[in-house]
Amino acid sequence: MEEGFVMSEEYEVPEGLHYTEEHEWARVLDDGTVLIGVTDYAQKQLHEIVYVELPEVGDVAERMGIVGALESVKAVSDMNSPVSGEFVEVNEELLDSPELVNESPYGDGWYAKLKPSDLDGDLARLMDAAAYREHLEHQEH
Amino acid sequence: MDLRKTHIYAFHEEHGNIVDFGGFAMPVWYEGVMAEHAAVRNSVGIFDTSHMGRSMAEGPDTLEFLNWMMTNDMSRLGQFDGLYTVMLNQEAGIIDDLILYKLGPERFFVVYNSGTREKDFAWFKEHVGGFDVELTDLSDDMAMMAVQGPKAVETVDEVTDEDVTGVRRFGIADVTVAGYPCFVTRTGYTGEDGFEVYVKDCPVRSPDKALEVWGALVEAGAKPCGLGARDSLRLEAGLNLSGQDIHEGINPLEAKLRWVVKFKKEGGFIGREALLRIREEGVERTQVGVGMVGRGIPRHGYEILDGSGEEVIGEVTSGGLAPSLGYGIALGYLPRGFSELGTPVMIRIRKRLAEGKIVKSHPFYDDSVYGWKRDS
Repeated sequence: MEEGFVMSEEYEVPEGLHYTEEHEWARVLDDGTVLIGVTDYAQKQLHEIVYVELPEVGDVAERMGIVGALESVKAVSDMNSPVSGEFVEVNEELLDSPELVNESPYGDGWYAKLKPSDLDGDLARLMDAAAYREHLEHQEH
Repeated sequence: MDLRKTHIYAFHEEHGNIVDFGGFAMPVWYEGVMAEHAAVRNSVGIFDTSHMGRSMAEGPDTLEFLNWMMTNDMSRLGQFDGLYTVMLNQEAGIIDDLILYKLGPERFFVVYNSGTREKDFAWFKEHVGGFDVELTDLSDDMAMMAVQGPKAVETVDEVTDEDVTGVRRFGIADVTVAGYPCFVTRTGYTGEDGFEVYVKDCPVRSPDKALEVWGALVEAGAKPCGLGARDSLRLEAGLNLSGQDIHEGINPLEAKLRWVVKFKKEGGFIGREALLRIREEGVERTQVGVGMVGRGIPRHGYEILDGSGEEVIGEVTSGGLAPSLGYGIALGYLPRGFSELGTPVMIRIRKRLAEGKIVKSHPFYDDSVYGWKRDS
C-alpha cells in the first residue's frame, strides 16, 4: 500500500523495542529492568506535550494498566504500561520539561523504569518493530 | 458522513491539521497551539470562523422581534453599534449567546455559534410569525474570520480602504477589505482587541473572495490560528463556550450574565417570567473560575470537590492549561458559599485530587498585562 509506505517513513520505529497497540514502547535493559515510553507516532499525534503525569516509585503496574497521562493543550492521552511490574524509577525531568517527549520519545523522553513481574509473558504479547510498523499503517492518519 | 467545509477550507487543507469540529472540517492548529496562542496575546493572529451562524433581520418590526427573543435591550443601540446578549427558552435556559449589530432602524445583523446555528435559526423562525420581519440565513453566503491581538487593528487597517481604527468596541462598519465589500466588527473571542471580518456575497461553493481576504490578512502579518488556540484564548479570557459552559440547563443568573438581562425593557422577552421566579427563589449555584495551585490540568467533566476533598460540589465545564499563565484553569458551577475568591477546592484528576482555588475568571489573566484593556 502506497499510503502505508509513506506513513512508516513518517514515524520513527526503532528496532529492538517492544510495542503496544496504544503506541507505547518497552526496552529491556541489561540488568533486567524495563524502560517504557511512548512512540514517535504518539508524540506526533499529541503534538506539543505540556504536562506529564508520572506514577510514584513503588507503584505497581498491571500489563496495559493506566499508570499516568501525557497531555497537550487540547488532549489527554492515558499512559499504559506495556509490562507488569513495580516502578523503580520515573523520569522526573518530564515534570519540568514535558517537551522532551516530543524531542526524543525513545531517548530523553522515556517515561519510567520497572522491575518486571512477568517479562516473558508480557513480551510475548507485544509487537516487534516490523509488526508495529504494520500496525501504524492501519491507523487513521 | 462528509464533513462540512468552510470558505477557507482550501487553506486549512494545505497548511492545517484538520479535525471534525461539530461536523465541520476545521484546523485544530497549523504550526502549534502554543505558538498560535502566543501570537494572539503578543501580536496578531487570524481564525476562520465561517462555521459560525450569521443572519440578517429586516423589516418594520425587527427591533420589537429581537427584543422579544433576546434578554438584552436593543432599543438603546445606536446606528452601527452592537451588543452581547443571550437568548432563553420559556424556562429561562440559555439557548445560545449572540451578538447583534444595528445596521439601520429596521435592519440588524445577528451572529451566533456554530454548534447552535441550525437550532437558533429554527427558533427565530418559530417565533417570527406575527412580526413583520424578514430573516435571511447568511451563514453559507458570507465568509467570516477573526483577526485578533494587540496588533490586529493596524493589521486590518493595512488592507482596508477605509480607516477602521475609529470603529468602536462592538461597533460595525461597512468597508472594503482587499478589494471586496465586507463588514468588520470590533469584537472577538480571545479577550484581545481586533476585528471580525465578514466577506459579503461569498458562497461556500465559490470562496475565492474569502480566500483572497484571508491571504491579504496573512500577508499583512496575521498568523493563521486553529481551534486549539481559539479555545485556550477564550478560556483564559473567561468567555463561555455555548453548549458547554452555558446551555439550556443553565440560566443567566447562574452564569453571572445578569448584566445582559433587562427585566424592565418594554414588551418583555421569552423566559422573563421564569427568570423572575428564579431570581425570587435565588440560584443555588453560580459560575466560578478555578486556578490550579498544585500540578495538573483540569478538563471538561472532571469533578470539583470542597477543600477537604470529601464532597463533590460540581464539575468542570471548561478546563485546560492557560498558556499565558502557565497553570491549569477551569470554569464550573459551584454552590453558594464556594464563590469567594481564594476559597480552596480540589479537582479530581484521574485517581488523585489536585489543589485549586477560586480565582477571578473574567478574565483569568491580569487585564493590565493582556487583553484589550491592557496598558499600552
